[in-house]
Amino acid sequence: MTLVEMRNIRKYFGESRALTDFSLTVNSGELVCLLGPSGCGKTTALRILAGFERADAGTIEVDSESIGSVPVEKRNFGMVFQDYSLFPNMTARQNIEFGLKSRKVSATQRRTTIDRMLHITDLGDQADKFPHQMSGGQKQRVALARAIATSPRVLLLDEPLSALDAKVRESLREEIRHLQREVGVTTVFVTHDQQEALAIADRVGVMSNGQLEQIATPRELYQNPQNSFVAKFIGTINRIPATSRTDGLWNVLDAILTGSRAGTELEHADGGIRPEDITVSATHQESANAIIEDSSFLGPITRVKLTLNGVTTVYADLLSINATPFIPGQPVFVGVRSDLENTIIF
Amino acid sequence: MRSRQLFSQTNSDTRIGLYVAIPFVLFMGLFLIYPTVAIVGSALSPGESGFSLIGLGNALSGSYRQGFLNSTALAATTALIGGVLGLTLAAIMRSLDRPRWLHSTLDSWSAVASQLGGVPLAFAFIAAIGTQGLLTKLFGQLGIDINDFGISPTGFWGLVVVYLYFQIPLMFLVSLPALNGLRKTWREAAALMGASPTRYWLRVGIPILAPAALGGMLLLFVNSFAAYATAYVLDPGGALVPLQIRFLLQGNVISGEEDLGYAIVTWVIALLLASLFLLTYLQRRTLRWTRS
Amino acid sequence: MTKVFKWGFLIVLALFFVVPLLAMARFAFQSVPVALLTGETWLKGWSIDPIIAASTEPAMWTAARTSALLAVFTIILTLVLLLPLAIVTEIKAPRMRPWLTALTLLPWVVPPIALVVGVSVTFRTGAPWFLASVFSLVPFYALWAMPFTYRALDAGLQAISARTLYEAARSTGASFPTIILRVILPNMKASIVAAAALTTALVLGEFAFASLLLKETLPTFMVNFQQSQARAGLALALIILIFTALAIGIVVRTLRRRGLNVQTTGL
Repeated sequence: MTLVEMRNIRKYFGESRALTDFSLTVNSGELVCLLGPSGCGKTTALRILAGFERADAGTIEVDSESIGSVPVEKRNFGMVFQDYSLFPNMTARQNIEFGLKSRKVSATQRRTTIDRMLHITDLGDQADKFPHQMSGGQKQRVALARAIATSPRVLLLDEPLSALDAKVRESLREEIRHLQREVGVTTVFVTHDQQEALAIADRVGVMSNGQLEQIATPRELYQNPQNSFVAKFIGTINRIPATSRTDGLWNVLDAILTGSRAGTELEHADGGIRPEDITVSATHQESANAIIEDSSFLGPITRVKLTLNGVTTVYADLLSINATPFIPGQPVFVGVRSDLENTIIF
Repeated sequence: MRSRQLFSQTNSDTRIGLYVAIPFVLFMGLFLIYPTVAIVGSALSPGESGFSLIGLGNALSGSYRQGFLNSTALAATTALIGGVLGLTLAAIMRSLDRPRWLHSTLDSWSAVASQLGGVPLAFAFIAAIGTQGLLTKLFGQLGIDINDFGISPTGFWGLVVVYLYFQIPLMFLVSLPALNGLRKTWREAAALMGASPTRYWLRVGIPILAPAALGGMLLLFVNSFAAYATAYVLDPGGALVPLQIRFLLQGNVISGEEDLGYAIVTWVIALLLASLFLLTYLQRRTLRWTRS
Repeated sequence: MTKVFKWGFLIVLALFFVVPLLAMARFAFQSVPVALLTGETWLKGWSIDPIIAASTEPAMWTAARTSALLAVFTIILTLVLLLPLAIVTEIKAPRMRPWLTALTLLPWVVPPIALVVGVSVTFRTGAPWFLASVFSLVPFYALWAMPFTYRALDAGLQAISARTLYEAARSTGASFPTIILRVILPNMKASIVAAAALTTALVLGEFAFASLLLKETLPTFMVNFQQSQARAGLALALIILIFTALAIGIVVRTLRRRGLNVQTTGL
């Protein structure tokens, strides 16, 4: 069921366009990530949804009701900011209580809610600490508890993990996902970190230049990017020369694939192949010639850098348990995983 | 080998530290601590007749008590008014993005004006609100005698007006960083949680600003309590502590008057020391809240 | 806050700051007494004679020279005392920095008027020869300017992250004196200039010490001179005021533009 619907939103800051014709639908209980490089308009979209900015054109509906003119205080949204934004003069408990008091929740009800929030964010022993006495991860958990304490209709997260270090970021990421499922709150999460987005979201919307390029499940986005921007932004992708065939299919290395840009006039184009779809062999003569440049061991996989036909650089991810150690300068043969069917044509 | 090297390294560090610290310590000791201790010592043994608190008591009686009351009233009034106006100025400037030039001009001007206590400032106000002052004349034309409001260079409110000339810019400079430390996201978070602007200011904005604002006003208090030059030029005979100290220091005809001077100075030092402790405490608290 | 309130406040405040200076200028440069000032006479009697009167007064030049020398010596003493200390504390003993910050605030506690009393108890009786020279003011001026000067120097050290610079230079094998002279000091020019400018402004305006220790500096001369020649006295005061204002203003602006946040509040 659709809960949030932003339609044809346009926003200018002076001369510069922050959003051009941006539309987004979020279903009830869903976690949607807005992902994109800095300056792509993702934060602007979130701030317009929250009510901090007014859109120059377009409509926003929540529960089929237009909220374009509803002031921030009345929207009943929750938000977590990148800089935590905890009130420094209040303890964790008082921070969580702030919103409940604003919404005129009774004292007994407040107590129960706060205790439950502290419990589910695992902050029981931090309740009476001030923000400056807590670590970054703890602060962000308090901010999360504060944002969901008022049972908001929509939870907005603006790069909530960017200020934390890698380890905390990963564990808090899982915690947010877990909490969101448990509470069932509809969530919009803005980030520039694609791994974060893929790991956490039900659907990911990739943005660039103030527009939504594609919105889909993480798997769909990775395997079937609709355009070259999405393909390049999500994960690593090799560009390997492809030739079009008369039957509309494409030749890439030794494979015959369907291309996402079928019917193109171009004779020469590039096919996008993910590193894990590349095979490398020292013996398999039918595929293309390449020279090993370098290889780096990354734990479960080994990433090999090759030069194809002396010009194109290609990365291949091989399972470390299968990968025979290659020596730089060694001539090898590269091909495409035999069960790959489709490629994106650049 | 390694530990030896480490050892000699530390040793030379200590030596360098001592070389640069010793002159500083000697300097502070000779020109600040020694005179201060001498004053306090003399104040506690009036007439060199052993320990006694009589001197300190005398310093707070009669006309000297009035002096302390006047100085405190003047310092408190200018701190309060200057504090409120300086803070308002800072808040207005924070809310105004443009014009740009106004920001840099006011910034430099405040740095200048906050140091403008002294002889030229006194002259300027004599020319403005003295008996032959331009404003006195101007308001006189309109049928208003500003002296009726106590605004003359020798009246209480006249002094307040003069002191505000450097107090307002000083408060502006002190409170600007604290105001800039108020994060936009606090306000946004509060609004999203359903808080009205009033509730935000009462529960978040003002409590966070309060230590900085109080600290700023305390600085103004100290600044005005100790100010000498302006008050001297405007009214050398005024009943203010710094002027009374001068009188005792230069008069010293009747024996025992000097002791009274030491006692008054001791009180001033005690007052300023207490203010400074409170000030650093408030400042540390402000930093804890507004940093990172 | 409405726009009207904001601009109203700013305009009233601007008038408060500007009008006394205009009144001072009028008094100095217009020979018409205030009582006779009307719509017809307000353009009459303007001249710059008072400046000439002030500048042909030999005592003025003596006092100005004294004040200038005092400023120079105070700057030298300040730098000798504080610069090595600030640098060494920052790169060798950063844990001592809060102490130094607190210590350099102490002059706030004993204002000039109080310190003069202390001087009369100690030096006047114990070492009267010391107070004979006008340059006995130098250590007290250095002390009085310390909250400002130390903060200016410290801001400079923080801005260039002196400790990292020192460690980086050390790793190249440079010796301690080389690092200080070739790396740290050249990068501190701006804050040294700031400290010097603040000291100059303070010395040019200081009245309490000089007056009570009976030394003739520019401010004490000004007060006496004004009693005999009112208009020339005010003209002189105005010029000194403008000069100091320009000095501080220019320094503050250039420093801010270079991103060096020097506090002029001494706190």
